[in-house]
Amino acid sequence: MSFVEIFQIWLIAFFTLALFSFLYKDNAFYKLAEHVFAGLSAGYYVGLTWNSVIIQQMYDPMIINGKWYLFIPGLLGLMMFSRFFKGFHWISRFSLAFVMGNTAGIFLISELHGKVLPQVQGTMVSINPSQGFGPTLLSLIIIVGVVSTLIYFYFSKEHKGLLGGVARTGIWFIMISFGAHFGYTVMARVSLLIGRVQFLIDDWLGSFSQIFS
Amino acid sequence: MTFWLIIAYSLLILIGAVLLYMTFRKGDRRYIYLAVAFYVIFPVVITLDLPADISPEVLQLYEAVEALPDSSTVMLTFDYYASTLAETEPMSRAALRHLFGKDCRIVTMTTIPLGGPSISERVTREEAAACGKVYGDDFVNLGYKANYVAVLKGMGNSIESIYPTDNTGTLLSELPLMRNVQNYDDIDFIFVVADNGVVEYWMSIVNAQYGTPVGSGVTAVMAPKIYAYVGSGQMTGLLGGMKGAADYEKLIKRPDFAVKGMSAQSLVHMFIICSVIVGNFIYFRERKYGRTGSGGKSA
Repeated sequence: MSFVEIFQIWLIAFFTLALFSFLYKDNAFYKLAEHVFAGLSAGYYVGLTWNSVIIQQMYDPMIINGKWYLFIPGLLGLMMFSRFFKGFHWISRFSLAFVMGNTAGIFLISELHGKVLPQVQGTMVSINPSQGFGPTLLSLIIIVGVVSTLIYFYFSKEHKGLLGGVARTGIWFIMISFGAHFGYTVMARVSLLIGRVQFLIDDWLGSFSQIFS
Repeated sequence: MTFWLIIAYSLLILIGAVLLYMTFRKGDRRYIYLAVAFYVIFPVVITLDLPADISPEVLQLYEAVEALPDSSTVMLTFDYYASTLAETEPMSRAALRHLFGKDCRIVTMTTIPLGGPSISERVTREEAAACGKVYGDDFVNLGYKANYVAVLKGMGNSIESIYPTDNTGTLLSELPLMRNVQNYDDIDFIFVVADNGVVEYWMSIVNAQYGTPVGSGVTAVMAPKIYAYVGSGQMTGLLGGMKGAADYEKLIKRPDFAVKGMSAQSLVHMFIICSVIVGNFIYFRERKYGRTGSGGKSA
């Protein structure tokens, strides 16, 4: 392991421990790590965007390959900055109008064709008992869950009587969904901790033997 | 061996019980942090092989990849930030090992600026070197391009129009693998590894409009939402969080980081369940008999 690799491991370990130190109480090491992370992320993002968008997608194709029509999206991008100048902010609306129209056109198809219709189709399940008790029960749960949850979000009529009973069933389905989300979120956060602990034990503590050998 | 395991489990239960008691006695949540740290560190130092079944969604994804003819072209995405590496990197590594093992030709890419380009380059090169694969012939890393919606739509017409060069600046026309890969029609399967909503666009734009099958590995936070797409048949299998990655590692018979981490995961979950039960028991007891008092910070 080279000196640079060991230095990298120790730097990562320092910032990991500095962030974990917040669990005991707020301190200067935590604040340092937080500010370094925010600054580095912003700098890296600006550099990457400059290279991958301005240079690769506009400057190079326009200057080297002669695609001069790319000055139109470039101009639309520049017009967005007019929002910073009082009296000229209306110019940015042309760019926003383009973005909104473009986005609506793309997502109208993809949301409807890729999400809404297949998901509606996915809830139209068979409740024929001949498929067995288990699958029939699951199909019934899907139907009851979808209908009752949709009714819970129907606010044009007061939730009383039959409507109220179905809406309350919907709440139970929503609560179970929240519980599943919470369980998975716990798993996700614990996974991140496991990742850091494995790094500290395997790589950081492992580097001690490299240093002292 | 069994004797030492019994000792280890007894120690785990005892320390957990003591820390839980201290949490509620002192009213200081830092004992909970200490307990969680202990349950994570213990199985990393001492290997505990706790049992876990393989999820049907993971099996579905494995079988879909397994059913691909040898030498198929597969697109593998690295749509995740460095912050979720513990969950997503094992998925990418397991997918690469499985695909390289089947002699598939792999095209990797990312739509994530922070971390995506460097992670995809590092992980792909390391796994390719371990499998003896050659860059340009067996795998290509396209790298990052901004605006994922435009990227996903544009590659349906021509990948070269979106990525004129690969991650290192080499023209795609100079890479043997890419000469026969023009758009999604030339890709047999898309394996998305993501920690954000991009995975839904792979499904709603690429799968729905171009018909290319899409399977995914996502962080545990996202998994409940993506299950709905597996149920409707839009997504071909799913790896949900570290558990999904561990299952996939087991299926390809290459247990690694995720399998090792699952013991810690199980122990922490058991401790959290016990904390919830004990916490509720104390809450209802205090409500019934009145608060007995425990100063300090609230747990």
